[in-house]
Amino acid sequence: MNRSVEAMDPLTRELLYKGLVGVAEDMMVTVIRTSRSTIVKNSLDFSACICDADGNLVAQGLALPGHLGSTMPALKGCLDHFGDDIAPGDILLSNDPYAGAQHLNDLFMFKPVYDAAGERLGFLSLVVHHTDMGGRAPGGQATDSTEIYQEGLRIPPSKFHCGGRPNVTLYRLIEANVRVPDQVMADVRAQVAALETGERHFRQVVEDLGPATVRHGMMELIDHAERMTRASISALPDGEAEFTEWNDDCGLPSEPVKIRVTITVAGDTIAVDYAGTDAQTSGSINANIEWTASCTYAAIRTALDPSIPTNAGFYRPVRISAPQRSFVHTEHPAPVGSRGQVGYRVRSAVLGALALHLKGRVPACIGGSDYCFAMSGRRQDGRPFLCVETHVVTGHGGGPDRDGQDAGPYCLANAANVPVEVLESEFPLIVEEYGFLPGSEGPGCFRGALGIVRQYRFLADSVLTVRSDRQHVQPWGLFGGSSSTRPRLLLNPGAAGRELPSKFVQPFSEDQVLRVEMAGGGGYGNPFERDPGAVLDDVRQEKIGIAHAEAAYGVVVDPVAVEVDRPATARCRRRPAKSTCP
Amino acid sequence: MLAEGYRLAVDIGGTFTDVALLAPDGRLHTGKVLSTVDNYGHAVEDSVGHVLCSSGVAPADVTRIAHGTTVASNALFERRGASVALLTTRGFRDVLELGRFRSPRLYDLTFQKPPPLVERRLRFQVGERIAGDGRVLQPLEEGDLDRIAGRLDELSISSVAVCFLNAHVNPEHEIRAAERLSTRCPGMAITISSQLAPQIQEYERTSTTVVNAYLRPVMEAYLGDLERRLNGLGLTPSPLVMQSSGGLLPAAQTAPNPVFAIESGPAGGVVGAQRLAARLGIADLIVFDMGGTTAKATLVEKGQYAVVAGAEVCGGSVIGTRLIQGGGFPIQAPTIDIAEVGVGGGSIAWPAGSDSLRVGPESASASPGPACYGRGGTEPTVTDANLILGYLNPSALLGGALPIERDKAETALAGLGEQIGRDSVQTAYAIHRLVNADMVRALRSVSVERGTDPARFTLFSIGGNGSVHACDLAEMLRITRIVVPPAAGVFSALGLLFADPEYHLVRTFYRPFNETNPEDFNGVLATLRGEAEDLLRRQGFSDLSVRHLDAVAEMKYFGQSESLPVPLPAGRLSRADLLDVSKRFDALHQETFGYASPAEDRQFVMVKVVGRGITEGDRVPEAIRRADKSAPSPPARQTYFGPPGGWVTTPVSGRDEVGAEPVAGPWIIEEFDGTVVVAPGWTMRRDTWSNLILDRVP
Repeated sequence: MNRSVEAMDPLTRELLYKGLVGVAEDMMVTVIRTSRSTIVKNSLDFSACICDADGNLVAQGLALPGHLGSTMPALKGCLDHFGDDIAPGDILLSNDPYAGAQHLNDLFMFKPVYDAAGERLGFLSLVVHHTDMGGRAPGGQATDSTEIYQEGLRIPPSKFHCGGRPNVTLYRLIEANVRVPDQVMADVRAQVAALETGERHFRQVVEDLGPATVRHGMMELIDHAERMTRASISALPDGEAEFTEWNDDCGLPSEPVKIRVTITVAGDTIAVDYAGTDAQTSGSINANIEWTASCTYAAIRTALDPSIPTNAGFYRPVRISAPQRSFVHTEHPAPVGSRGQVGYRVRSAVLGALALHLKGRVPACIGGSDYCFAMSGRRQDGRPFLCVETHVVTGHGGGPDRDGQDAGPYCLANAANVPVEVLESEFPLIVEEYGFLPGSEGPGCFRGALGIVRQYRFLADSVLTVRSDRQHVQPWGLFGGSSSTRPRLLLNPGAAGRELPSKFVQPFSEDQVLRVEMAGGGGYGNPFERDPGAVLDDVRQEKIGIAHAEAAYGVVVDPVAVEVDRPATARCRRRPAKSTCP
Repeated sequence: MLAEGYRLAVDIGGTFTDVALLAPDGRLHTGKVLSTVDNYGHAVEDSVGHVLCSSGVAPADVTRIAHGTTVASNALFERRGASVALLTTRGFRDVLELGRFRSPRLYDLTFQKPPPLVERRLRFQVGERIAGDGRVLQPLEEGDLDRIAGRLDELSISSVAVCFLNAHVNPEHEIRAAERLSTRCPGMAITISSQLAPQIQEYERTSTTVVNAYLRPVMEAYLGDLERRLNGLGLTPSPLVMQSSGGLLPAAQTAPNPVFAIESGPAGGVVGAQRLAARLGIADLIVFDMGGTTAKATLVEKGQYAVVAGAEVCGGSVIGTRLIQGGGFPIQAPTIDIAEVGVGGGSIAWPAGSDSLRVGPESASASPGPACYGRGGTEPTVTDANLILGYLNPSALLGGALPIERDKAETALAGLGEQIGRDSVQTAYAIHRLVNADMVRALRSVSVERGTDPARFTLFSIGGNGSVHACDLAEMLRITRIVVPPAAGVFSALGLLFADPEYHLVRTFYRPFNETNPEDFNGVLATLRGEAEDLLRRQGFSDLSVRHLDAVAEMKYFGQSESLPVPLPAGRLSRADLLDVSKRFDALHQETFGYASPAEDRQFVMVKVVGRGITEGDRVPEAIRRADKSAPSPPARQTYFGPPGGWVTTPVSGRDEVGAEPVAGPWIIEEFDGTVVVAPGWTMRRDTWSNLILDRVP
């Protein structure tokens, strides 16, 4: 470490950090206010951060954790390509998963920022998930692609703006390749406008503190985060833990795919190894190593001091390894369009291992089926539409000292749902039901959150792309707690209905109905030790039924008085869990 | 309107209840007492009685009473509202509890959102369905309502919220449901979403309706009690209550619609500052108000503050309408766009690692208070730091009513300093600067982030604490002028007297521009204008000249989430007028976001009308004279302004001793309700209105 950097006043460092986070937040606000598509404006699927002149992450705004671990590799892809050929007024663009980016819908843009002498101080980074990037399936979430060439427009590291002038060819190329150009181009313009807002604010920070302080301060912020990370890891017990997670399939009909993780805490470092994970598959839910690393960092982060700034210094003491050509470390030209889904599984695998290693600190598995939906077609007047929504989680798993909150937001998948009224006013569909699925939780001494149902009726012929999971292995319980109930996708629920696989692309005709039942969270601890009062409250709230209270928790509720029958409960609880009492 | 006599304002805050009594000639009597949390009306009665008595003003001479209150927001924060039932469309029982799935805290697996205000067993489903375009897909099942009415009776529910899907487009089912329920359950307080807040987004509208139903019995009881107490003192005017939007409404209209008055407290100061600034000829200002736990900033540009369509309440501090926070309750109520950060005078400083520190968001509040209050607080706060730096009076605050124990502040700061390797002065100065860095975020968020350069704005510093920090904050933003109005510490009360009665009316008009025919548009507009005229007339604004109507259309490009308010011309709109409105939207979009897309489809979202009752004269008097006498000035003291100057001997005086000729800082002004620090590099003078004007030396 550089001595002059070490000597920096910690207070100035704090002031710089607050300033840089403010720049990132400015960019985010601009995107929210100006973007057009539901996935950007309601799901907030975008992230902003500040990097130093060498491309190291220094500060971030409130954003999707999955994006943030990926900023540095994507920027590195651009720096590797352009080297010294980067100048004021440039905006670098990439969506190439084989040059450090994520999947094709995520456009990474980087704007270099300079001091008055023309020395580069750093980069503003903004990644936005765009509704469509072309390819064989609308929305880019098809899970059954077999090569990246099917997934849409792949933009290797490029200059989107050069010396302040837009690269019109590239703009037109994008416009010509996407299904809803109005929406996508508006979002692209919002992204560029936000970078410009960010640049103005960044200049003020530089003016306030001086370029030398900013340059050194960014290094010091990274070193400071590294020191805090190492101190925080040192406070964890040394040791090793393993965990196995499963994905329903590889995106095409297949056997479940295994993700194996081993976590080793040694002194002030953590090693995460994916040896034992199944090989790369032909479906599009493979993850490139950058995505795997992003999700791993995000999960590890939850076990450490929450006040550590998330930047390059945080990554240094964490080592991630995975076998090449495996499900979590693909090689070109494997498709990765739906790798988002595997990211949730990577996170739950890492959290599972952490839960076993750090008993009493990590809750059981988050609820949800990683559900994501894209509907496309033409309106009556012939105009195309594309509606994308994600509903990744349903609520938390039970924890060591409390239930998983129903519909509790999950910090590692920080995406908002889309209001039903907005969907219905903009797209030809009706949502017939959106609510909890009583009795779908993972039972435990502290139960998991309830599952959720969302049921649509379509008002136009359309093509549906659905990507979900958890039909094979459900969100797991811990230490005697159970997993939640199996999620289902139903076409035309009722007598004539049939169940659909967790992932599909298929046409739907007008008036058909899709019912999506998402899994709840896992339970924590033996459900027969759950406070009968808590079980009774769930019965009163109609979150579980009386029969379920007895079967899953051994609590007998008198159906007339709606009170716990204590003697009957005591008798019932002497039997093993999961068996229905006579 | 009648010539105004004495005007009385009462502002209830979490800690203090402030009173301002303004004579027609500008003489001002003030009072400040501790709020009585168990029954707020008690402190009001006490302090109003005291001010009337000490001023010798006859109650019959008071012609107008304005009131700002945190009663609604406190009841929500402390969850002391009514037991509420919610009626929803079948299939949507859980909308309220599902929320939007956004967490304000990354990497925190333990974050929980607040539990819903209506638990699941009290959320009832009704068979009915309206489509997004207003068509009835399924008729209302009246039998469901009869069954639910029976249950409400059994459960002794007295307040009900009704929010059906798409009711903002077609309110027919909600209205019929309310009629049916009120027949079956006489006396039931029923809030329906289509009447209260006819705006799109079912979760936000449901939340708004529920919050209203939850607060309604509290507010009805409180305002009833208040009016009885004021009557008891011989005061006859019915109080006008400050709304979150900055307008006043009669108590009788506030009581059933408390959701619009949740941010009543902070609004009075902003409106007061805006009106006073207009009087002084200042069009562009940033109003800064630092309290015990938060600091707030509001931009007034070209004489106007921004009113946003919705807010999130009870979620901790938010910076304006920035990001979806997920930690509180969203409400669709017009609210002055006030940016807030969670630091104030009571914020506690704590060590971060071995060499650095952080300030807040934990606050010592009023109890135990900063260490120097000597009421059991041991942790160092911003107030303790300001005391050690010599900014605050070392022996007493509030004109002697609050004795100060300097050694306790010293001990607290030395303790923290030891942990991070600094002495107590360095530590105090670090706290002072860090809290400035946080507060400047609020100021920046209302200016820089909207593309507005704060340097050309005047910083209007109100509240008792803020003027200690004002010079530093101004310098960080390159602001060169600061105004500290008289009675800054009770300015939230005084400001209430400058506000107008205001009605905010809104209708959803969610329609593509190309499919809008002028007839439909004019129909909605005329209805709203008629309602506004009617409401104002009933408040005594019978003459056309004292009714002021503004209409705006909220517009956006198709698919955009945020709309922009486009001002509408008076009268009916022709097709050409509508085209002009659409062009103005492009221009506004360009101005706000830096680009416009004239080729894209636009759409209307809603139409709003604001009706204001104005006076012929100005509500702001020619000048203000403090009637209460100030204390004798304490001696000069040592004050720390950081390196390189370090400790400086600083004169201390009262406001009245400041003249019209500028004097150079450093200087400290001590008043009954606040302290002003004039930093080196600034000058200070007093204008005819008794404002302190601080100017940066160029």
